[in-house]
Amino acid sequence: MKHGFKFKDAEYDVGLSRSGDGYRLHLNGQTWPFTLHPGEEGNWILSSQNGGRTVIDHLAVAVDGDDVHIHLDGETHSLRFEHALERLAQLNEAGAADAIRAAMPGSLISLSVATGDAVKKGQTLLVMESMKMETTIVAPRDGVIAEVLVAAGQTFDKDAVLLSLESQDEDNEQ
Amino acid sequence: MKRINSAINTNSADFQANAEHNRRLAAEFREKQRAARHDRPQRDIDRLRKQNKLTVRERIERLLDPGTPFMELSSLAANEMYDGSVPGAGCVTGIGIVSGREVVINAGDPSVKGGAWYPITIKKTVRALDIAIENRLPVVHLCDSAGGFLPEQAELFADKYYAGRIFRNQCTLSKMGVQQVSVVLGHCTAGGAYVPGLSDYNVIVRGTGAIFLAGPPLVKAATGEEVSVDELGGCDMHTSVSGTADYPASSEDEAIAIARDIVAQFKTPDKTRIEWQEPEEPYYDPNELYGIIPRDIKQQFDIREVIARIVDGSRFHEYQPKYGTTLICGYAHIWGYKVGIIGNNGVLFNDSALKGAHFIELCNQNKVPIIFLQNITGYMVGREYERAGITKDGAKMIMAVTGCEVPKFTVMCHGSFGAGNYGMSGRAFDSRMLFAWPQHQISVMGAEQAANTLAEVKVRQLARAGETLTPEQIEEIRQPVLAEFKRKSSAYWSTSEIWDDGILDPVDTRNALGMAISAALNAPIRDPSYGVFRM
Repeated sequence: MKHGFKFKDAEYDVGLSRSGDGYRLHLNGQTWPFTLHPGEEGNWILSSQNGGRTVIDHLAVAVDGDDVHIHLDGETHSLRFEHALERLAQLNEAGAADAIRAAMPGSLISLSVATGDAVKKGQTLLVMESMKMETTIVAPRDGVIAEVLVAAGQTFDKDAVLLSLESQDEDNEQ
Repeated sequence: MKRINSAINTNSADFQANAEHNRRLAAEFREKQRAARHDRPQRDIDRLRKQNKLTVRERIERLLDPGTPFMELSSLAANEMYDGSVPGAGCVTGIGIVSGREVVINAGDPSVKGGAWYPITIKKTVRALDIAIENRLPVVHLCDSAGGFLPEQAELFADKYYAGRIFRNQCTLSKMGVQQVSVVLGHCTAGGAYVPGLSDYNVIVRGTGAIFLAGPPLVKAATGEEVSVDELGGCDMHTSVSGTADYPASSEDEAIAIARDIVAQFKTPDKTRIEWQEPEEPYYDPNELYGIIPRDIKQQFDIREVIARIVDGSRFHEYQPKYGTTLICGYAHIWGYKVGIIGNNGVLFNDSALKGAHFIELCNQNKVPIIFLQNITGYMVGREYERAGITKDGAKMIMAVTGCEVPKFTVMCHGSFGAGNYGMSGRAFDSRMLFAWPQHQISVMGAEQAANTLAEVKVRQLARAGETLTPEQIEEIRQPVLAEFKRKSSAYWSTSEIWDDGILDPVDTRNALGMAISAALNAPIRDPSYGVFRM
């Protein structure tokens, strides 16, 4: 599987394979041979082919988590690595978990949202108590609260639907 | 393996309040640890200096390879006993690097009651030697003890896990081919004489070191014979006449140098190979753990946020992400070592228990050590769950934990209540190491529930006699129970009793686990074998 990179809002599928003492970059059905060697002061020397002639470039590379910053010819280019599991999971995220269900039987301690509220992924929706433990339920994704089915103090069974969520877009269309 | 996507907002008021609270707890812990290590009555220090003796900390510093870490175990043992007058239980134990080998160090502390063995001293020593046996680690004993603390002899002599167990463990190590060296830095009297006696090698310091079954006063009382310490069991007699000791030394410094040279002769261990890759720092700052652990023991938090701040690159391959979601299982790396992680995200249900048992089997098939991160209020109760067989599913998990042959490591992150403690490899289930965080609480049930239960019993007893209690009187019954329960369920009580191997500042967890895994790989990993799983 190729690696996903985001560069200037566009996504690229990039493959890398070994070749002699260098590598081959696979991008958009084309193959680009190159070598990369450490240079002075932590810089890198990139040697690539362009129209049959060898081009030597000096690069500085900084990596911060998934963000890669490359300094080349007085300009900085920023790329973002996107893990395949992350990227492929995101494709189908909307539509998942429309119903917020109780993971265990318990009672509602507090409710932080009301019908029609727009919520962000990770935002607190409610706090419930079960087996001496208070659990905070957060929004699994961005969306709008379509319906609230419990009130503070109310008890419920496992898998009871507590809230339902719809996506922002659906809301706009309505 | 993809990175965990943290949902923590480090700017939130809640995070900041947690961070302040937990940093204070960590500072309090470090201060208690400092005091237990270094605060001694001046007269005890003066006495050591007059005898030309080093303190136990100075001895250990000389013994260890410079610049290497020493993982001290149970540094706050006995801190809640004897009004704190036996700091660290009167001995220092831990895992350190001597002449390039990972070894267990077992050192008496002569600045605490002359190094006398209290019952808890013996418990700590036996645990250190159990660690040596489980992990096949050589042992360096630094002996300086006045002998058993006689007023408590009934609590330290006769039972299975009392003093005799120290010597039994030494013999067991020898039988396994795991080597031991003793350095005799003070008197080794009676039982204590067998520590050097049962070691493969021993070194004795001229003048201060002595080994005998009975010291001069007891000999005089028994047989009337008058004899000096040196004649009876001194350095030159034992190294040139009896052969009880091997190497004479003219000072403590020389004795420790000889011990280091002896360890350098030990065979380099062939460590067990498990999956390993180049280590990577966690992507999320471990200091953020302070803001994640809630101030209230009742409050739930996502254990994945903890995992993200312990493991390499904060990367985690989660197994069965949508099944049994109150138990988080998955693979990660710690200091490069591949591990399985099992952490609580709520009460254990049938599905979570089954998932846990299944994951333990997977780790065993693939020789992946397991880290248990405990924050558990127990297995789910109620009719529906009993009908679904919550007890038998919990039993499967406990069976899997017990049959597990890969090294297990347990961290008590928050609460540990009820049978969930067992399924999550509590103390009784032979985790190679078990650490606790300062706010950890452990008990058979919560303090509130216990106080209410006991008050209820009292009310009913009196009701039978026709008496009733005012709410104030009920509160008078509840409060002492609550206070006692809270005290005895605290991390400090737990570590004082050696129900764990020590309290950790949460930010040190990654390093402690890395050292513990490395030490565990001195022993081979056998194939798993289980009892009968109730289906």
